[in-house]
Amino acid sequence: MAEKKTQSFMRSLCMGEIEEDILLPFPKVSPTDRELLKGVLGSIDSLLKPHAKDFRAWDRAGEFPPGFVDELRQFGLFSLVIPESYGGMGMGSTAYSRTLQEIARYDGSVAVTVGAHSSIGMRGLLLFGTDEQKRRFMPRLATGELIAAFCLTEAGAGSDAAAIKTNAVRDGDDWVLNGEKLWITNGGMAGFFTVFAKTGAAGERGHMTTFIVTRDLKGVSTGPHEDKLGLRASSTTTVTFEDVRVPAANVLGEVGKGFKVAMKILNSGRTGLGGGCVGAMKELIALSAKQAKERVQFGQPVSSFGLVKQKLGHMVVECYATEAAVSVVAGLIDQGYEDYQVEAAISKVFASECLWRTADEALQIAAGNGYMCDFPYERKLRDARINRIFEGTNEILRLFIALTAMNDVGGQLKELANSLQGVFNDPIKGFGVLSEYALKRASLATGIKRAKGAFTKLPPSLAPQAALFEEATKDLATAADRILRKHGKNIIGKQFATKRLADIMTDLFVMACVLSRVASSIKDKGERGAAKELEIAQVFSGQARRRVKTHLSKIDDNDDELIKSLADHAFERDGYAWDTL
Amino acid sequence: MKILVTAKRVEDPESKIKVKPDGTGIVLEGLKYKINPFDEIAVEEALRLVAKFPGEVVVASVGGKEVQEQLRHALAMGATRAVWVNHTGPLDQMGIAALLQKVAEKEKPDLVILGKQSIDDDQNQIGQYLAEWLGWAQATFASKVESFESDAEKNKVPALTVSADVKTVRVVREVDGGLATVECQLPAVVTADLRLNMPRYASLPGIMKAKSKPIEELTPVGLGVDVTPKLTVTKMMAPPARKAGIKVPDVATLVQKLKTEAKVL
Ligand SMILES: Cc1cc2nc3c(=O)[nH]c(=O)nc-3n(C[C@H](O)[C@H](O)[C@H](O)COP(=O)(O)OP(=O)(O)OC[C@H]3O[C@@H](n4cnc5c(N)ncnc54)[C@H](O)[C@@H]3O)c2cc1C
Repeated sequence: MAEKKTQSFMRSLCMGEIEEDILLPFPKVSPTDRELLKGVLGSIDSLLKPHAKDFRAWDRAGEFPPGFVDELRQFGLFSLVIPESYGGMGMGSTAYSRTLQEIARYDGSVAVTVGAHSSIGMRGLLLFGTDEQKRRFMPRLATGELIAAFCLTEAGAGSDAAAIKTNAVRDGDDWVLNGEKLWITNGGMAGFFTVFAKTGAAGERGHMTTFIVTRDLKGVSTGPHEDKLGLRASSTTTVTFEDVRVPAANVLGEVGKGFKVAMKILNSGRTGLGGGCVGAMKELIALSAKQAKERVQFGQPVSSFGLVKQKLGHMVVECYATEAAVSVVAGLIDQGYEDYQVEAAISKVFASECLWRTADEALQIAAGNGYMCDFPYERKLRDARINRIFEGTNEILRLFIALTAMNDVGGQLKELANSLQGVFNDPIKGFGVLSEYALKRASLATGIKRAKGAFTKLPPSLAPQAALFEEATKDLATAADRILRKHGKNIIGKQFATKRLADIMTDLFVMACVLSRVASSIKDKGERGAAKELEIAQVFSGQARRRVKTHLSKIDDNDDELIKSLADHAFERDGYAWDTL
Repeated sequence: MKILVTAKRVEDPESKIKVKPDGTGIVLEGLKYKINPFDEIAVEEALRLVAKFPGEVVVASVGGKEVQEQLRHALAMGATRAVWVNHTGPLDQMGIAALLQKVAEKEKPDLVILGKQSIDDDQNQIGQYLAEWLGWAQATFASKVESFESDAEKNKVPALTVSADVKTVRVVREVDGGLATVECQLPAVVTADLRLNMPRYASLPGIMKAKSKPIEELTPVGLGVDVTPKLTVTKMMAPPARKAGIKVPDVATLVQKLKTEAKVL
């Protein structure tokens, strides 16, 4: 792993600086990894292709037959991110994300079973485990003898993870664990649980600790398999702890730092989910292309109609953009960047929403056939839906994305405010700060060249798109600044405005990733070879630019308060108030 | 028992193959490659035999650096080691068979198993040339009596029956109109047909193990083989697109058309 890299592209961008070296060149898989990965992907195809017909049956039945889970174990699918020294594949984020992509082409339930194990279930051990803990569990996690689950959510604690009630009390060499976790993926078959429990005084929020709990400990039990909308074959259950004596040696990370551990795990695992979304999109695009060419109406294949092309074209652009963003985030992690949580959150939100639109439009192209269970569209649509909900809802992640940025900008404004106060005491120093800020604002407004205000390493053929990006960057800085000035400390309560900022940031990050990817394709294949990709860059940049402009204009000109008041109206009446009778 | 098998690199049958407009070959851009499926069946059969008669499975391939991918695949399935004959440029069947002959003479296996043909240009000649030039017995199109769903297949019973003293092999062959059983003296050359077995997939632990298995590099010059092709491809053409069929209203019209238009009756 590379030396510590502390910068974040998006956090710098929010301060008006384009740190292009973070995103350029587009991360590449090393030749040795590529050869290994090709072998892995080919093998996954031979494992899953023969089951293509079974996935529908297992979705209906609502579970995998035990023989299939054994097949996954023997194949080694639970060993992906485990270091080679413990019998695993030792995959970094890029290889792991690409592997989940391949699995997700076939079936969402398989992808989430493998993903919950590797992305979150055992990731705490990987990131925070001591050598002794790793020696004890990694080899069995690699063979799948132990399947891992991540246990955070409870009935009263979903988005608000700090509200968990499961608690652990120290008693001699053990901790005594009590509580119930809800909707735990792999719950029914896991032998290894990463469990978050309160360890603080009663009423103290957020003091929690992470524990490794194994199924053989007395007092661990799991509930029945939940009946779900999608991912029906994957196991989702409650996990209950009743006076479970967990040895102190099973504490993961520091006592009291459980919340941080949970967030780090979720961040680090996000490229698994993103990879899964890309795989599902690629499969849907392939299905739609075939379907549209085969279905004849009005004497021609429906693929010849503009409105069908419009759908497929957008699906292609969004898939490419998602793949670019997920690859960049995986690349950042693999290169040793430490501050990637904003970028990772953006990639999760973007990937899950693109997949949802793709699944919806693919079903629309197939229309009546799409609605029938004999075709795969309805299942893929149901399976896609979860991605906007779990591993942090997209609402929570949007708040996180924007508030992180505003925190940074606010910090700068505060510095300014402080020194403004100081102007009276120390006019000279105060003046210096003021003019620096004024200069920055002036350059934002006028477009005077600043350091790091532009891309310098993109090929000339991407110059128009780079210019759009630079303009939008100025809009981002203006938006952050204006929103903060408008709402000040009350920003926490202004979620409409916050969401706008998050959406601007999302468009900018994804656009930068697309530009980076297309730039490297141009370098590898020349402009002619990358012609189609250039078209994608044109489409995405144009769309992103227009969306950013709209968001910016809505900061001051919007109907936020009216919408809120209408929602409150419905809340008061428990529903809709009108009728035409 | 020592078995030599082959692993040719071929275009993935699922990729779209297009002939270049000038007819000098096919468009390579965007193509995916894999091990020739018949060779994969050969590797599987060899692994099953070696499970019964301990020894080693040596896998060979001829081609540029990229064929190492297919060799690694066979190693990941469980082959012991690999021999790579490094050669880029045109080759014909006789060139390949001559190279394999040298490899076989060097390795001295009890048995050579190859795919009956490779799915790229479906020549179906290497096994036959090789047996002839080595002067060994040959049994082509090895197949199986049982279906893939049979207990025998599920229990992975080898379809080639080697005698307990490892002196002979009995091979069920798929021929026009049925199956023929032949018995050969070892060493022998066998080519694998489609219904011989269901190849295992390379598991992830298998792929990791394959990373450290040796691949020995040889060259035509080192083996003393002149591979100048005696056969040259002058032009490639895609078969003409099929014309759309027609629907006939009844049997009478069909018979009529078969007589007058198709002139087959
Ligand atoms: C199939 C499935 C598998 C799962 N697997 C796991 C697992 O393996 N491990 C695990 O620990 N959990 C798991 N979960 C739980 C999942 O992570 C939670 O469902 C998710 O975090 C959201 O919590 P919630 O459902 O309680 O929604 P709530 O938190 O109740 O949210 C309800 C709505 O309010 C919104 N909202 C909440 N707070 C705010 C706010 N401050 N501002 C604006 N909007 C807000 C939300 O976005 C949402 O739209 C799983 C869930 C499902 C459905």
